[in-house]
Amino acid sequence: MSPSSVDTSQAPVLEVSGLTVEFPGVRALDGVDLDIRAGEVHALVGENGAGKSTLLKVLGGVYPPSAGTVRLRGEVYAPRRPSDAHAHGIAVIYQEFTLFPDLTVAENVYAGREPHSRWSRGIRYGQMRAGCRELFGILGVNIDPDARVADLSVSEQQLVEIAKALGADGQVIVMDEPTAALSKEEVERLLDVVRRLRDEGRSVVYVSHRLEEVFAVADRATILRDGRLVRTLDITATDEDELVRLMVGRDIDSVFHREAVAEGRVVLRLDNVSAGRHLRDVSLDVRAGEVVGIGGVAGAGQAELTQAVFGALPLRAGHMELDGQRFAPSNPADALAAGVGFLHEDRKHAGILPDLSVRQNLTVTVLDRLRRGFARLLSSRAEASTYTEYASRLRVRATGPDQLISELSGGNQQKVLLARALAPGGRVLVLNEPTRGVDIGAKAEIHALINELTAGGAAVIMVSSDLPELLGTSDRVVVLSRGRIVGVLEGQDRTEENVVACATTGRRIGVAA
Amino acid sequence: MTSDTALPPAPGAQAPAPATETQRRWARQHSIGALWETWGITAVLVVLLAASPLLSSDFLTVANLQSVLRESAYLGIVAAAMTLAVMNGTFDLSVGGQLALVSVTTLMGYAAGGTGLAVLVAVITGVACGAVNGALVTAMRVPPFVATLGMLFVFRGIAYVLTQDGPKTLPYSEIGSPFVKIGGLNVAGIPLPFLIMVAFYGAIWVLLRRTATGRRVLAFGSSPEAARFCGISVHRIRMLIFVVIGLSVGIAALTYISRVWTADGSAQDGFELRVIAAVVLGGTSLKGGKGTLIGTFSAVLLVGVLNDLLVSRGVDASYQRVVLGCVLITALAIDGLRTRFAAPGSFAHMLPRRRREAPAR
Repeated sequence: MSPSSVDTSQAPVLEVSGLTVEFPGVRALDGVDLDIRAGEVHALVGENGAGKSTLLKVLGGVYPPSAGTVRLRGEVYAPRRPSDAHAHGIAVIYQEFTLFPDLTVAENVYAGREPHSRWSRGIRYGQMRAGCRELFGILGVNIDPDARVADLSVSEQQLVEIAKALGADGQVIVMDEPTAALSKEEVERLLDVVRRLRDEGRSVVYVSHRLEEVFAVADRATILRDGRLVRTLDITATDEDELVRLMVGRDIDSVFHREAVAEGRVVLRLDNVSAGRHLRDVSLDVRAGEVVGIGGVAGAGQAELTQAVFGALPLRAGHMELDGQRFAPSNPADALAAGVGFLHEDRKHAGILPDLSVRQNLTVTVLDRLRRGFARLLSSRAEASTYTEYASRLRVRATGPDQLISELSGGNQQKVLLARALAPGGRVLVLNEPTRGVDIGAKAEIHALINELTAGGAAVIMVSSDLPELLGTSDRVVVLSRGRIVGVLEGQDRTEENVVACATTGRRIGVAA
Repeated sequence: MTSDTALPPAPGAQAPAPATETQRRWARQHSIGALWETWGITAVLVVLLAASPLLSSDFLTVANLQSVLRESAYLGIVAAAMTLAVMNGTFDLSVGGQLALVSVTTLMGYAAGGTGLAVLVAVITGVACGAVNGALVTAMRVPPFVATLGMLFVFRGIAYVLTQDGPKTLPYSEIGSPFVKIGGLNVAGIPLPFLIMVAFYGAIWVLLRRTATGRRVLAFGSSPEAARFCGISVHRIRMLIFVVIGLSVGIAALTYISRVWTADGSAQDGFELRVIAAVVLGGTSLKGGKGTLIGTFSAVLLVGVLNDLLVSRGVDASYQRVVLGCVLITALAIDGLRTRFAAPGSFAHMLPRRRREAPAR
């Protein structure tokens, strides 16, 4: 209220109090307090879904808070749109960059505030170039202001984003997982840039899953868990183990029951598989009746792994075996024909066929089995019986087989998609985030179904970013980090702390070095 | 435990009888929007037909109706195949060029070997045109818009080249040929081109609703990304679609050229846009995944009837185009409003209110 009476050197630049953000059915942030001082690097850590991204989006003017206030230098800061954040000197650098790929570096750095001559309104390119060089000088990097942004590497693009924030006089620079796609040298350079920003007197909010970086660069760290503030710590007064404990910190209750199953023969074998941009040298056996959980921070290679098994992503190296036979699906149709079912993590965009009925959505993977007679036409009777069989097994609740799938609840849509994955034979199931965005009742039903399926001899690969689910429903947890397996957790080792430790520190457990 | 019949009627109730359970279920599951989507344009056609005697006294004569059906057929046949493409989220801009080319080659085939060869040449040329489009889109990965736009010029250009020394024509002496009967014959009073069109719609309906391929066409149109993870190959589907369109143009050209007897490179200029307009007017979404053949069928006839009425009222041909454009835009504007009423249950408000429930025990 009275900023003049406070000593500005000690006062926080940014003060968040009681911040709550609610989405339909979810409370993403719940009464979070946070203060950012001038000239500090403040790390924000927490599991997937802890609320870090939501907090950033509030600061960046993307989401309005449901309750609570944010103060910037003592004054209420309530951005209504991202441009308000820029105007107040808050620059949020999201994981997806907001650069124009076909424009030059200088044009991007000065996008929207190009220096121009007064009379002709012509843009002063010389001034832009000089300004860019000056900014890059502060950052200690060397990027050509005339280069096209699309031609730069990811790390250089990130530096352009930072220069843009700096050029717009950003006092608070927020970085969301800035090192997710960087090599080791690039990470070093970025951390160096972050230190330079701090020495300039700017505040940096640094969100990262990688605790080594947090310890290398941050002054303080705030831990979020399930949308709530756990604690803010001085980095010198803590260690990795304490952070991991605080990030997880939940009583491991036995919500999920994984029934022990007899170990079967190896159904699916991956041998030094490399695929996509960064999945490398993954070897994995999946046995009949087993659920192999795949953990790791978002984007560590889970999607590449599952898509490679489903034939949606070609292998760069290595090979796979199914029942001891060479398995090299060149497309998802091959994998379906071999009895591999697949559930995509993005139900809305890559799962449901929104204009089609529930029945049509369910049978789309097995149409060839529903053809009858000389003309090989689809048999309505065969289709109806397939629908009835799976819909009742998965307890799909729809007004009828002809209801559009887009009219169902998320949980029921997911059950239809699970039935679709099951229908090709259910020998191998590749499930990405099987319970994401699903209500608790449906969640329990889906977990029971997975138990039931494995009891029948199915081999399941399950990716989940929900730790209790990952541990509770799988027999073995494989942790990926940067496209490699860094942990295979079995028996006593299967704890949330170990998963988080493997995923964030790269500490290896149960893997040959 | 409670049933509606057990409740005593409200004393002195003047309200209409409450809706039956069947009515309620129907009202919950259907919506004004969904009904309009399937039957809207057909309803407009019926209204227009009912009103036609007021607009033109000699519209409802057998000869006139026959002529409307005869002239609508070639547009309708290609529109059926185009519906398939639009449902899949693509379209073919080259059908106008294809029609000109097939017409020219068919007349050349007739000159060389009579009716049999003409029919064969028509079908082969059409399918070949479609296969070229399909190969460009699938093997060369050219976006359908660009590929078919380019081929529109190429096909038409070839037709021009073939008719450099004058348009191909059917000499008047051939009036008794079976070839001419394709366009001119009436079977039980119904023009043969219209019967061919109806049969073609039947075939496309079977392909779309009763085959695995048709289902995949729809699935891909609804969500290309999801379809990929259902094991659907876009290339196989797109190839089939373009070949079916080529075939449809071959058949359509037979019903067209056997009626007009002459063709050169300029034949049916702007045909492709009239076809797409009919498909869109019929309620098929350009975004893919949604649409009905009956809608396209009715839209084609609606355009035919409207043109005929305008001609008989003596409206200038230039104004006919203006009217057609306005009809299309009006239909799509209604379509935009429709989404507001598309949710199931929009009928429920129209039913009489349910009587107050018995208090809970």
